[in-house]
Amino acid sequence: MANVHRSLACSRRELLRFAAAGASFTSLSGWLNVLATRAAETGVKPKSCILLWMEGGASHKDTLDLKPGTKDAGEFKPIATSVPGIEISEHLPQIAKQMHHGVLLRGMSTSQGAHGPARYYMHTGYREGSGGLVHPSLGAIASAELGKADVALPNFVSVGGKFGYGAGFLGVRHQPLIIEDAAKGVANLRPPVDGLRFGERLGLLEDMERGLLRTATSQAGHDHLTTYQRTVALLRSKEAQAFDIEREHASVRAAYGESAFGRGCLLARRLNEAGVPFVEVFSNGWDTHKDNFPRVKKLSGTIDAPIARLITELESSGRLDSTLVIWMGEFGRTPKITANQGTPGRNHYPRAWSLALFGGGIKGGQVIGKTDKEGAEVIERPISGLDFLATVCSILGVDYTKENPTPIGRPIRIVEKGATPIKELVG
Amino acid sequence: MSRTRIIKGLRGLLLLALVGQAEAAAPAKPNAGTSAHALAQRIDALIEQSRSSKDVTPAPLADDAEFLRRAYLDLTGLIPSADTAANFLASRDPHKRAKLIDERLASPDYGKHQAETWETLLMVRDSTNRRLKSEPFVEWLKTRFNENQPWNRLVNDLLTVTGTQGDSGAATFFIALRTPDKLNDQVCRLFLGVRLECAQCHDHPFAPWKRKDYWSMAAFFSKVRAGGKKVGKGEPEVVNESGKEKKAPLPDSALNLAPKFLGADQPKLSASEPYRPALAQWMTNPENPFFARAMVNRTWAQFFARGIVEPVDNLSADPTGEPELLKELTAEFTKSGFDLKYLIGAICNSQAYQRASGAASEGNSPDEHFARMAIKPLTPEQLYDSLAIVLGHKGETPKEARKAAKEQAIKYEPKSLRAKFIAFFDVPDGADPTEYGTGIPQVLQLMNSPEMNKGSVLLDDALATSRTPAQAVDRLYLATLSRYPSKAERTRIEAFLHQSTRTST
Repeated sequence: MANVHRSLACSRRELLRFAAAGASFTSLSGWLNVLATRAAETGVKPKSCILLWMEGGASHKDTLDLKPGTKDAGEFKPIATSVPGIEISEHLPQIAKQMHHGVLLRGMSTSQGAHGPARYYMHTGYREGSGGLVHPSLGAIASAELGKADVALPNFVSVGGKFGYGAGFLGVRHQPLIIEDAAKGVANLRPPVDGLRFGERLGLLEDMERGLLRTATSQAGHDHLTTYQRTVALLRSKEAQAFDIEREHASVRAAYGESAFGRGCLLARRLNEAGVPFVEVFSNGWDTHKDNFPRVKKLSGTIDAPIARLITELESSGRLDSTLVIWMGEFGRTPKITANQGTPGRNHYPRAWSLALFGGGIKGGQVIGKTDKEGAEVIERPISGLDFLATVCSILGVDYTKENPTPIGRPIRIVEKGATPIKELVG
Repeated sequence: MSRTRIIKGLRGLLLLALVGQAEAAAPAKPNAGTSAHALAQRIDALIEQSRSSKDVTPAPLADDAEFLRRAYLDLTGLIPSADTAANFLASRDPHKRAKLIDERLASPDYGKHQAETWETLLMVRDSTNRRLKSEPFVEWLKTRFNENQPWNRLVNDLLTVTGTQGDSGAATFFIALRTPDKLNDQVCRLFLGVRLECAQCHDHPFAPWKRKDYWSMAAFFSKVRAGGKKVGKGEPEVVNESGKEKKAPLPDSALNLAPKFLGADQPKLSASEPYRPALAQWMTNPENPFFARAMVNRTWAQFFARGIVEPVDNLSADPTGEPELLKELTAEFTKSGFDLKYLIGAICNSQAYQRASGAASEGNSPDEHFARMAIKPLTPEQLYDSLAIVLGHKGETPKEARKAAKEQAIKYEPKSLRAKFIAFFDVPDGADPTEYGTGIPQVLQLMNSPEMNKGSVLLDDALATSRTPAQAVDRLYLATLSRYPSKAERTRIEAFLHQSTRTST
């Protein structure tokens, strides 16, 4: 109780500064200086993550794990990458040139074969509905473990997704700020009136709420105030400019391409620079039961340039070593080609599939795991969903064995028991 | 929004208000009235008794304005209109609080609010049932809460439902939850006040329930099915339990056991008979040690944001709180024939419920023994419905609502403004009701969205009914905060109005 009293007394003081908030927050350059100083002091840059989610599940045999010359190999040819001996799809030529920064995990093997449960599992590491809980997704975990409370920007931003995987029982502080399309930025970020009138309104709100806070020593009142302060700080901050991709030079925007995913990658890079520890960008349409080949070709063309550009820009700004970029979906697709309404397609396939990791300080230029000649079974180094999540946590410097309490106080581990991080990456 | 639509909207609201009054005039249920007042006094006596041994000073009773707003929001899920607030504050009737409670309990909004509260509790949304419509379930619950159907009958009907959502909205529960473990978790937690789910995978070191207790209760749901042959082709799913079905597949942690009542006997059930009726009969029997107690504690928690004993849904785990009060209210609720309006009437007429939310004095622990009312942030439903009253529009015309409903039937996406708003402001299941669950995106919407900034109905009304700026300010306070402004507040608002006139010229 004493704590609540103290924090409320403190928040009353903060309240007096409410209308002036924003001015008191450090500027963008100030922020970067802080980061730079911290890195220099400790020698370790704080880690961050950009998750590129291929919604629907990308066909591993048509992207990262081609099987030329075998049954149902498909139409695409493999091409060489910047790492001798590693080949990927001909429709990912620019990503191929970044392969020395990346690791392909070709031994992913999971059990969820329906979109919803698989998406849930690969985002949270838990079976959907188990224990009557909604579990936090990777982004919310990163927000809780890597995020900072004293910054204007949110710690978890999700761009272009149809399905939100949020904070679950970790609560509202770690919910993602959801951006429908990077071209539109944050919904309702701009006040409907000019700055002067907006300030007057805030001043009035501040005075009106003072009465309530004086008589009621409630945590809710305090949280309400804090959330409004953070909102005002955000919309007045220089950091909020990070959401505006129009500020990029036209040539940079062009390099990321005209697609929503490309804009999302550019936004992710800007937010990453501004210190947001976790950004998720969705690429929709990978559920290719029908028209698999023309669709995967087109989708590959959409994601190739932006992902390659993202990696090179992170590298040139010195941020690639501290930023893990993950390319994945909820599962792979069947090694067999099926005729769905007359057009060749591939169906859901969690048993054997691939994903890619870039940057984050991992040892690049490797392939870990191997499937059989038709891409149907993992024959070397199988990796479970739990192994994968434990690996990501370890790369990000998050203790995956840590227990978080649920609302009723049950301790729930970040990643369940039975996970082994991939040593080749972390060590 | 055009002027005519606003007028139409207002007319609709007036009609609704009139319907509400007509309902209120209907004769009261036999158990409401004096016995509810007697029980309210008993509640206060029992709390006073346990408080007397401690050094806790209760907060004073809330003033009329605080009580009015609380009773409206807690009983019917929305705030009162400016007129209702003005009339209530002006009334000198010494029984006006009791009358307001009766009037709110008789309003159709009572059943709607209870139905939405219980729909949220019962349904667990996940990727498999994301598209399932909840409206039939809400309708089903609403009718029963408004008719004040005995709680044991309502639960019995829910647990034994068969057919499609169209046949009975209660079918939604079984279509949404589907598997024995999910159904068991919810039924034990909500209707019995026992959290069994921790025992799903392992014996719990400190709780009395073991894995075999979990799976022998879950076995009662092993034969109910939701499905149908042509579901993929647009036919509705059917809930059935003819008794002949094979058992449903269970997760790896499952134990394959015969059905057995929690902490009680193993019923004699033949393989050819359905299991759910036996479970429902055992649960809803007045002799059941869990059922009435769970509902009394949960209903109390709905009004106080805290159970009589805590945790609210885990009464078997060495509860803390006021066990004597829970015992007596449970006996009364059972004796009344599981009469919810009687129970709620008693709770709301108690002094404990009517205490102010401000601390009695610095330095004591006001949360003990219900010495003051907790602060409860508005739920998304309460917030939307209250905003709709303040802004004077329901967000959509009946025509738009029909169109949205039609689209929803086709696409299964929540289309109505209200549904979208509620989804956007939603908080995690099981979150503490005193926790503030609104994040930055939601605050941005409340501050800056066009929807929130176009509503001029409130101002139009304030200007039309006021002769002076002071009266207009009064009207705005009544409409939004259900009270008159203090002198300082009035001065501050008037200063703001002057300031704004200056800056806008």
